[in-house]
Amino acid sequence: MVTSLPELGRFAEPALIILVSLSDGPKHGYAIMADVESGTGRPLGPGTLYAALARLEERGLIEALAPVDRRRPYRLTAVGATILAEQLRELSDFADLGLRRLGRSTG
Amino acid sequence: MIEQLVRLYPARWRARYGDEFAVVLEERPLGPFDVADVLLGALDAHLHLRGLGAASEHRKGFTMSLRIGGYAAIVAGLFWLVALVGNAINNGGESGSAVIAISVVFATVTTLIALVGLGAFQARRHPLLIWAAFAVPAFGAVLGLVGFAAMIILGDSDAELVGGMSAWGLSTLGVLTTVFGSALFAIATWLARSLSRGGAALLGIGALLMAPALAGATGAFGPPVISFVLLALAIIAFPVGWMALGVSALRVGRGPAVSMGGAPA
Repeated sequence: MVTSLPELGRFAEPALIILVSLSDGPKHGYAIMADVESGTGRPLGPGTLYAALARLEERGLIEALAPVDRRRPYRLTAVGATILAEQLRELSDFADLGLRRLGRSTG
Repeated sequence: MIEQLVRLYPARWRARYGDEFAVVLEERPLGPFDVADVLLGALDAHLHLRGLGAASEHRKGFTMSLRIGGYAAIVAGLFWLVALVGNAINNGGESGSAVIAISVVFATVTTLIALVGLGAFQARRHPLLIWAAFAVPAFGAVLGLVGFAAMIILGDSDAELVGGMSAWGLSTLGVLTTVFGSALFAIATWLARSLSRGGAALLGIGALLMAPALAGATGAFGPPVISFVLLALAIIAFPVGWMALGVSALRVGRGPAVSMGGAPA
């Protein structure tokens, strides 16, 4: 059975945001935090970041690269990219459904 | 203070993440939100480490399933290629029938292995379709193997078995059922977009053309040129589709993706 992000419980949302952050190339921890904050407007705490990173790494969705000056970059694996694409499509489908219903009720 | 916060985490966690985590904490002044977040993170790490081994095993099992499915799909494609091309060239002759029969048996078995390995990868998205894509060819494989076994044991392909059906007829029905199941799997794969959609399209086209192509080859309908084109398309598309899905599964299971473009199309 394939890992799905909802299995990560309260870390599912941070995990999804981290995967999106890594989708354009490898980043180290602080770069992920800065990217998430600028992209979503919400801070990602260091404790939450590393709890989600550890889970994503365990499940093979991301992998650590060699550290550079004590900073260790992470990158998306092919499995991680596939899972991310699937999650984003599901979210997109759900958003489309909501917008259609909203359009019917207000139109 | 940063050192004290890092020390709140378990030793095993610190050995793996401690150094880089300290660097992240050093990057900016820590506010109350950050400290509270780190405290919760440390608590989570103490609770979470208990499941570390199980999660790793889960990942290994998943990757192994995908890899076995990928290799099986490539081997199945090769056996289907030998069986279908051999059958077309042999044109009902006795000389190559043993090689074709053995190829069909191996193709059927490896197709089932591929369906299990690759189906597990996609089962969450289209569970009913994936189950049907396994159950139909599994049923077909049983029919086909019983038919082949009867031909070998009885030494007569025309020997009547059940419901007036000959051993040859039963094995052919089994093969066609396996091919139809492959079409279901191709549709599920196309919808799930987890593996190569090109491979899924080839497999689906090949599988759906197989029955009319074989019927046409026996002169059942249409001008010979149409039958020849259908047969040639089916013979190429079906095995190449399986092989393409196998390669795609190995790529997903093995390599890192530097960007979203690295995901299979």
